[in-house]
Order: sequence, then structure tokens, then C-alpha cells
Amino acid sequence: MDHFRGPVKTDCEELLGRFQMTESVRYEQFAEIWRDMDFSSIFYGKLEPNDRRRFARLVLSVASPYFFPPYTFQIRVGGLYLLYGLFNTQLAIPKEKIRVALKDWKDVMQFQKDAVNAKHYDVVYVFRKLLSDKAFCFTAMPTPLNFRIKREDGMKRKICEEFVDPPSRPQELVTTDVLEEIANIHEHYEGVKKAIFTEPDPNLNIVQQNLVSKLNSTILTYSSWQMNRATSEQQDAGEGPSNQECSSRAQLLASIKSKSYGQVIEASKSRRHRQAELVTTAGPDISPDVPKKKKRFPSLKTRTQLRFRTQGNTSEGSSLTRLWCLSAVKEEMETEKKKKKFNWNPNKSSDPT
Amino acid sequence: MAESSALTCEEKQDENVPVYEFVDVNSKEFHIGAFRDLWLDVLSPEVYSYADTAPEIEDVEFIEEMGIEPKTLEELKTICSVDSLRSPHEDTDNVPSDLHLSTLKLRKRRQDYKETLTRDTADRHEVYANEMEMMSVGKKPDNHSDLIPEGEIILTFNIMYPVLFQRFKFVRAYQTLHVLGSQKLSDLRDAICCVSDLQVFGEFSNTPDMVPQFISKDHYKSAFFFFNGTFFNDTRFPECQDISKTTREWTRTRDFPEFKTAKMEDTSFYDLKIKVGFPYLYTHQGDCEHVIILTDVRLVHQDDCLDMKLYPLITHKHRVVTRKCSVCHLYISRWITTSDAFAPTDPCLFCDQCFRMFHYDDKGRKLGDFLAYAYVDPGTFN
Repeated sequence: MDHFRGPVKTDCEELLGRFQMTESVRYEQFAEIWRDMDFSSIFYGKLEPNDRRRFARLVLSVASPYFFPPYTFQIRVGGLYLLYGLFNTQLAIPKEKIRVALKDWKDVMQFQKDAVNAKHYDVVYVFRKLLSDKAFCFTAMPTPLNFRIKREDGMKRKICEEFVDPPSRPQELVTTDVLEEIANIHEHYEGVKKAIFTEPDPNLNIVQQNLVSKLNSTILTYSSWQMNRATSEQQDAGEGPSNQECSSRAQLLASIKSKSYGQVIEASKSRRHRQAELVTTAGPDISPDVPKKKKRFPSLKTRTQLRFRTQGNTSEGSSLTRLWCLSAVKEEMETEKKKKKFNWNPNKSSDPT
Repeated sequence: MAESSALTCEEKQDENVPVYEFVDVNSKEFHIGAFRDLWLDVLSPEVYSYADTAPEIEDVEFIEEMGIEPKTLEELKTICSVDSLRSPHEDTDNVPSDLHLSTLKLRKRRQDYKETLTRDTADRHEVYANEMEMMSVGKKPDNHSDLIPEGEIILTFNIMYPVLFQRFKFVRAYQTLHVLGSQKLSDLRDAICCVSDLQVFGEFSNTPDMVPQFISKDHYKSAFFFFNGTFFNDTRFPECQDISKTTREWTRTRDFPEFKTAKMEDTSFYDLKIKVGFPYLYTHQGDCEHVIILTDVRLVHQDDCLDMKLYPLITHKHRVVTRKCSVCHLYISRWITTSDAFAPTDPCLFCDQCFRMFHYDDKGRKLGDFLAYAYVDPGTFN
């Protein structure tokens, strides 16, 4: 069931991406996209009731993170609508609940307050409807934890960069209040200096004189650069700005890495016997490491079969006696269907060996 | 004074909000009772009650809170109704032909693959799991006093089976139990089914007809849970000893922090300070050790099983293949023999009839030299 996690995430991100492009928080827009993508059919298929329930649980746990920070308000509204849609169209009976952890409840309440203040009636209505339908389950942690240390790469939580506000830590750090305070302290400091030393000593000029104005202008330049970069990306035609950005960033990282690992630091003369050697790797180091399949020692059965096959008697497929069809007529024996193992990831390439 | 006490209150609140210690692996430890109080403080009672509020009352509340017209509310209801999400395909059993979602593409491939397999009977394990679920899902008690009170906490424990063979240590066989927060640890202990509890001791080759009167469960009643540095011992019966004493004395000689002890039957789950998703220990029969993990802690919901008498509730059990007699392959084995000249393997399993026919003559005299022990099959709990 975990194999479905990747495709479900892709589908959710596609839906939310389209919702983000509409630049609105209205439910009608969302419902239109939902109907267009025929998203309710995500639950369809020949499944046992148990599998239906497990899948519903998986889908809800994949969709829940979009309802919480650090995503933008619009994406969070999209996440809420998505949860509403998934909860109501699921096929498990009784319905699987949406898990909310205690640490996230504060954010949920804040979100609701923001929606009420902004008079987004449909957001508030949808949320209240979910509450009254008892769709939420109030838990300790967002998902049940089973101490799984070894996890495949697909499980790791990747936040979609497009759905998050661009980082604004410098602006948060240097606000007008902070600038005012710094200006006041600076004035006070200069005043105290003048009072102690009648002659201004050049050795005591440690602090920049126009610190406050410099800080202000730097922050403004940074924020305008960010906005310019965002608008220039949107104007970019083609595949997608984030893809190009990602690949260029990846290439930059790769070049930095290759430079650092390419230079071998020569050991000092006292450690001459332990000189470092540069060992080149075979595959490219941009792509993430594909976990090597554990090479299992072939079982006794396989080894016996291999040995007997190579020694001769390759005319018939396998000369095993089948106890359940000993009385069958020889000509009627069907050819044995070769059992192929189901490949969950046909697109993923095998090891670069 | 008021300020400092308010601060400590906040600190206490913050330290009892469960957060990840390692993301997606386990959480930090928190007090279960305090966690429950924190949730009940932030929620209004209608949110977690079993009864549904009437829709008219909800509408009135909504209109008052948002300050809108009833007409707007009607509009909202039609726009946001569930019908807006309906799919044009009514058939839920088949994947629609126009595959747009990647999930459906994967599912179709998997379905097509499954149809190439020759097996077409229902999975036996699914049948057993369904039966188990039917017994408990949504059950309301007949007696009203057995109803779980609203706002109760349900804890989910995964108890792993002990690893006896190195070959099978990669299979994480477990059973899942749900317990209420108000129940005692001893209730959990009684609900755990382990085959080592049913073992019978003694060599019976000379006296095969003597029916053993005792099983290990009655003989060796000591057990303990180990949560977060405290050993919770079972002291209900006079035969119970403190089997954690040896471990504690050993740790005192090494570099370990001091471990405390407490009584299992006096501690309820609300008194525990525990981590979610972290492995702990349950030991019984002296050396049968089970790893136990608390996977989930949540408030009770109206769709859960609400009958207190059914808790602790088993929701998942890993079923073990039953070992049949080596001779007839029909009956479940009840005897195991070692150093047996007649048997093909050492040790060898026999059902009762084959055992008697094989090893004893008509008069009941023992033939040959062998040792026989009573065997309890691990699949007895299936």
C-alpha cells in the first residue's frame, strides 16, 4: 500500500498546483478542478474492504500536511477543500477520519480565525461542516509511529517549494521597531562617548556611523531582488521555472562538491605514509542514491534447480512432479505460465553498475 | 508568585504536547493524563461528543457568528455540498477508462497483474481479519454503564512476537491491542496472547496418559513492563516474584541510571509518561521477552467500539502456520519427541493418535527409547 504514496502525492500536488494558479480561495473553483480531474475516482477499483480502508487512510495522511504551515494561506485553503473532498468521497465504511495532532491544533484555530476575519464564508462553512460531521480524530502525533528507522526515499517528507512563501527571514529580523531601537542605542552610545572623551579618538570608531540607514537599504534591496526574481520566473516560458531552477541549483551544488572532493589535501610530512587518494565514483552524483537491492544468497531450491538445469534435461521446462495433477492426461498439461514479479517502479532505473 | 506558577503551568503544557524526537520515527515522552487534559481544554464538548447537534441549531450558530443572511447560508450549502464532488462514473468497482491520475495508472497495472495470477480464492488471512473486525467495529454496549465516557483516551499498542529462530527475525510479527486510558497495566498484560503461556513442562514418554494439570500461565505468574526507566511488576498473586530485581542489581554495578519499580495493577495508563513509537519491553515466564511499541494515542470517537467490556481489544493478529503431524499431515501436532530412533528427524512432531500407534504397542508398553514432551502449537491463537 505504501507504493501508492508517490502517485497520490503527485496527484494531490497537481490538483493544488492548478488551484494555486486560479489565485482564488473560492470553493467553486476548487470543485471545478476536482470535477475536471475526476478526483473521486482515486478510490475506484477492485479492492477488498480492508484495502479500501487502508488506502483511504493513506490518502488522508498524504493530503493532511497541506493544511498546516509552512504552506501559504491559499494552499492551506486548498488543502482543507482537498480533505473535505477526500473525506466525503471515500468508499470505506465507517469513514476514515482526518488525524489532527495536538501540536497542530493551534495552527488550525489560527487559520480559522484568519478565514473568519477575511470573511471567506465558504472556507469557514467547509471547516465547520467537517467538525460537525466528526471528521477529525484528535491524536498525539499526525501518523501512527512504529519506530521504522529504515525507510525508502519516497517516505521522506519533501515540502513542495512552490506552495510555500519565499523565505523572508531577513525582513522578519530587521523590522522598523528593531531599526528604531538600534538608532536609539546608537545615539545613546555616541552621546556617552562624547561625554567621556572631549577629543574624538579615531581608534574608538568601531561602529559604522550610518549603520541604521545601511541596514534599511540592504533589506529593501534584498526584498526587491526577491520580487524581481519571482516575477522573472513567472515570465519564463517553457517547461517550468522551478525545474530549471532546480537543475541549475543541482548543477551548482554538483560543481561545488566535485571541486571540494576533487582536491585531495596532502597529508603532512609526519603522516606521509597515509596519503589520501582520490577515488572516483562510477555514476553521477547529482541524482540521489538509488538504494542498492540487497543481494540475497539464492535459496537451496534455486541453487538445486540451477544445478539440475545446467547439467542437462533442458527439453522440458521443469521436470517437477506435481502431486495435484498426477492423474491428468499428459497431452492436456498446460504450459507453465512464467510468473513475473510485479514491478512497482518501472520508471526508476536500476543501479548504475 | 502567581507569575512563576503561571510560567510553570505553561512550561508543563508545552512539555506535554507531543513532538517528534526523530521525525516519523518516534516522539518525545509526555504524560498521557496531561495530554488528555490539554486536548479537552482546547476543544468544545460538542466536537468530541457522540451525539450530533441538530442541523438547525448549527445553522443558527453559523448565521450568528458570521453575521450573514440565511439566504447566503442556503447558497453556501448548495455550492459546497457533496454533490459538487461527484464523479460522472458511477461504477466504483472498476477503474475508469480515461486514466488521468497516476494513482489510477498504478492501480490498473496492479489489477491487470493480479488477474494473471492463477489464485482466485479469497485470501484466508483477509477473511480472518474481517471476522475480527466485525466483532468489534461500531459496537454499542447493551448496558449503558458500559459505555466509554466521552473524552476518553484510546492507546494502541503493537506487541511483537518473540524472535525464537534467527531465520525469521526479519518478519516483524505483531498483534495490535487497543486499551482505554483508564484501564490498568495488568489489564493489558492479561490480554496479551503468547504461546509460551500455554507450555507444559515435563517428560511424558513413560506416562503418556497422564493429563497435565498445569500450564505455565498458572505456574509462573510473574511479569513486568518496562517503560521509560521504570519496571512495572505484577504483584497480584503471592507466587509473583520481582523478576526485574536481577536486572536492576546488574545495572547498579554498571554505568546506568537508577531504575525505579512500581506496581502494574495500581498504575493506569493515564499515570504513564511514555514516548509514542518507541520500543519498550514486556517480559513474562522469566525470559519470554516481547518488544512493545505504543503506536497511537487519541481521543475516542463515536465510530469506535464503545463497549468498555470489550477492551483491551485485539484488532490485528499475525497468524502463524500450524504445524501438522509428520506422519499423517492432517492433525495438529501435540507431541514432540527427541532422540527417537523411529522418527525421521530430531525433533519430530506427532499428533496424538500417530504418537500412540508409533511408540506404544497394544498393551500400552513403551517401544524403543525416546523422550516425549507435550507440544503446544504456536498457531493456537489463529
